[in-house]
Amino acid sequence: MKTRKMLALVLAGAMTAGMAAGCSSGNSGNTGGQTNAGNEAGAETTKQAQDSSSQGSAGGSGEVVEITFPSMWVGVNTFKEWFDNRMEVFNAEYGDSIKVNIEEIAGDQNYVDKIKVLYSSDSLPDAFCTGGYNLIDTMQDKLVDLTPHIDDEWKKMGSDVTWEVNSRDGKIYGIPYARQAIGYFYNKELFAKAGIEKPAETWDEFFEQCDKLLAAGITPLSMDTADSGWVTSLMLGAMIGQTDEGEEFMNTNLPKDYNTPEFIEAAANIQRMFQNYTTSDAVGGAYENAAGNFFTEETAIIANGPWMVSDFYDTNMVEEGFADKIGTAMYPGGVMYNSGKIGFNIGSKDEKTLEATLTFVKFLTNEESQKLMLEMTGDIPAADGITSDKTAPLVNEVIENAGKASHSINDFQSLWYANVVDEISIQYPLLAQGEITPEQFAQALTDAAAKN
Amino acid sequence: MTGKKMIGIIGRVIRFVFLGVMALISVGPLFWIVMSSFKSNKEILASAFALPSGFSFSGYAVALDMAPIFLFYGNSILVSVVSTILNVIVVSMAAYVLARYRFKGSTFLLLLLSASMLIPTSALLMPIYRIMTSIKLFDTRTGLVLVYAALGLPTSLFVFKSYFQGIPKELEEAAYIDGAGFYRTFFTIVFPLAKSGLATGAILQFLMSWNEFMFALILTKRTNIRTLPLALNYFTSQFSFNYTAMFAALTMVILPSIVIYVLLQEQVTESMVTGSIKG
Amino acid sequence: MKVKRWKLISFLLPCLLLFGLIYLIPMGIVFGSSFFEWKAGGIFRFIGLENYINAFLYDVRMKTAIKNTIIWVLLQCVIHVGLGTVIAFLLARRLRGWKVLRTIYMIPNVVSAAALGVIFLNVFNAKYGLLNSFITQITGEPFTKNWFFEQNSAFFTVTLTWLLYSGLIVILVLAGIMSIPEDVVEAARIDGASNMQVNLRIRLPLIRTVMGTSVILAATSKLREFELIYLTTNGGPGDKTLNLPLYLYKASMMDNNYGYANMMGVVLIIAGVIVVYCINQLFRMNEGDY
Repeated sequence: MKTRKMLALVLAGAMTAGMAAGCSSGNSGNTGGQTNAGNEAGAETTKQAQDSSSQGSAGGSGEVVEITFPSMWVGVNTFKEWFDNRMEVFNAEYGDSIKVNIEEIAGDQNYVDKIKVLYSSDSLPDAFCTGGYNLIDTMQDKLVDLTPHIDDEWKKMGSDVTWEVNSRDGKIYGIPYARQAIGYFYNKELFAKAGIEKPAETWDEFFEQCDKLLAAGITPLSMDTADSGWVTSLMLGAMIGQTDEGEEFMNTNLPKDYNTPEFIEAAANIQRMFQNYTTSDAVGGAYENAAGNFFTEETAIIANGPWMVSDFYDTNMVEEGFADKIGTAMYPGGVMYNSGKIGFNIGSKDEKTLEATLTFVKFLTNEESQKLMLEMTGDIPAADGITSDKTAPLVNEVIENAGKASHSINDFQSLWYANVVDEISIQYPLLAQGEITPEQFAQALTDAAAKN
Repeated sequence: MTGKKMIGIIGRVIRFVFLGVMALISVGPLFWIVMSSFKSNKEILASAFALPSGFSFSGYAVALDMAPIFLFYGNSILVSVVSTILNVIVVSMAAYVLARYRFKGSTFLLLLLSASMLIPTSALLMPIYRIMTSIKLFDTRTGLVLVYAALGLPTSLFVFKSYFQGIPKELEEAAYIDGAGFYRTFFTIVFPLAKSGLATGAILQFLMSWNEFMFALILTKRTNIRTLPLALNYFTSQFSFNYTAMFAALTMVILPSIVIYVLLQEQVTESMVTGSIKG
Repeated sequence: MKVKRWKLISFLLPCLLLFGLIYLIPMGIVFGSSFFEWKAGGIFRFIGLENYINAFLYDVRMKTAIKNTIIWVLLQCVIHVGLGTVIAFLLARRLRGWKVLRTIYMIPNVVSAAALGVIFLNVFNAKYGLLNSFITQITGEPFTKNWFFEQNSAFFTVTLTWLLYSGLIVILVLAGIMSIPEDVVEAARIDGASNMQVNLRIRLPLIRTVMGTSVILAATSKLREFELIYLTTNGGPGDKTLNLPLYLYKASMMDNNYGYANMMGVVLIIAGVIVVYCINQLFRMNEGDY
């Protein structure tokens, strides 16, 4: 840090300039004025060969097409191992014709934030996958309409509901890779201590069981409010979904009106849960806190998906044998989260990269990839009938429950406006402390939705 | 007399307690992070403030394995050091002119420059992303260096300017009489005299560059040019977390900045002890 | 001393270039687009002052955000800077260990906001937080206040995450005090002035511009404060701890309402220029000390 040495600056300046020149970015995809794919897709394929305007990425290295893919599957993410494995195989198979430039973005919110900046500067990556967060409605105008590219063969790699979630007005904007199946987990040992034999079938029974747990000195529920209040909001959605009207609401994309009887009643029950049945760190807590309380056997129930199962075996998190104590259940009233997940969205700007991108995504969603995903992450394949004998029994139970459910709903993160999801997390504390009524809670979300 | 003595003692006790409490709440966080990095996830979940059961460095091993921390280290050092040097040289020259000379528009210029201190980062993200892509500095360390040097511009400007104003003019006038030119006067007389102020500005600039997260995320794409703050998110995602590794990574991020800060600060102290500043 | 104009310009130019590239052009974009309805989905339409009118006449949340921002700026200017100045004067006596203390006080400023957020969430946690455990120990009764997430304590608790950490002010003021020529102080002592009098009458006025700098840094840092709020309360409960930069972030990233967000950017810039100008005048910062 010799600030006074002019020489140092000159040297350093030259150094960085040299480096910058040496490794200026591959800069694929940003070839400006290219027309978006969409309707003219067919007409453009013929011109593909003489499409000289996309000189940006070629760089003299032959026919290798470079595509960009930001990945959040790094670090502790449960998908990391799977994605690394898939990339290895993909590169071995397609490496001489397609080069995938992976941008690592750790953290879900960071991922979405960056995609939004790229979107607003008209430079979306060739493919991206938010892991469930819905960007289709915000970015529809810059996403490639994939309908003409999906043949019947490919269609089979996802059940109908998974394609539906990724479509708008009959056009496909996302390629599904996973299904959403979420119930709740409970601690059998704690249930036994409180004299409970099996999971509740109605919400009244559910609350009775909560009282029994309390009487036995056990905190019944893990809850949270931070981020999107994921664990809590799953309970909220499950309560809404117990009637037919509610089920419809929980399958509606971007609902604007939350002032419905089902919603308000569910919110009232959430209030009751916050005030009587959860830990003192639930308000303000994040998923980690909720999960932590469940792992340390302080609480008996947590709502979450099957990807959590692998943690039940991780002795770094839980005591030995914890997994054996855990059971899984569907929500009272036969409700399960059983729907599609937002999949891979595509933002390629010319035919050549689009084709390569489709090859890449097709690979990531093929049968082998989906099966591996089931084994390695516990996430449930988009296609029907993909099973594996290597999965944990709990994961299979969740899948079974999803098949048996009488009400199938989708989750709030995939369906609701981003700012409504944000609003939930700042309104939950008020609801929990009785500062606002369930009606006011519903109104606050309605107001937020109206901003869109 | 004894009354006065009593007051003196009480005053000293109050002063001691006050300074002590402030010190405690200042090091507390750091101590807690380092301590947590030696605990297992289980221990952290069970009790956030209990002492670790043993000294296990496994968190560090996991952290280094999960995120390319050493690579990011190198980039962070490079980017922070270069942007600090650039910032100090460029801004000190401007601050000197603004501190010493009044000319038409100098007040306006000062206000304009300081207005930049008030823009929240999130408003700048998209425009700067576009500028960087259009001048081909997107996804380069040079781009980050430039942005950081500029981000710290207003802060450095204020710090430098106030120190230049504190230097007696007579010294420069003497230099001029001795026949030194404008540039030589600045670099050989004024620059060394303002050392403590420059070091303060440099510390701020360095810390800002070292800790900055949002631009580092938006303006880079390739893993091998990224900086350290981006490593921290490798340890928590929506549904999984590894606290031990996160705290280990935090420790590895924080400690160097403290060391660098202490080293830089020594230079300030030294310059004051040698008395160059007393004039 | 007369210096040729081009020499002055050559000194200003690099700084202005940097400023133009990173600040001026973006500021222009921010300013220009604040008059547009600009949203995701390709909506881009000139609407004149509508964003401003909506914000100031109808947006309740905007009012709260402005109010909170102003309170935080004032608190920072008075308490934070005051605290730092007092500590600096105490350390300036070169008590034993003053250098160590100066370093220690700076530590929270060295730690990144991401880390501080995690720490404070744990310190003020209702269940196992350090503060509640401490109170429980002392009173002997279980204490479970949820500091960050209760209506009556959220604002106060968020404020605590930065208010007392004035290490930067300590450094600035301390360096200012130490650069005062000894003979000036000596002269006063010979006239029989007490320690307190020397500090208040001689030293404090002499570090006027440094004080001004400190106040400006304090004020502007709170005009832009984002991370610590975002990472702890996210503006909640309700909008109890919402400030302008956080609202701006939410408008652009959550509501996808870029024009509205940039309107807030303009409001912040204008507010900031006024604040900086006032502080500049108050501390007569454009004049030299000697």
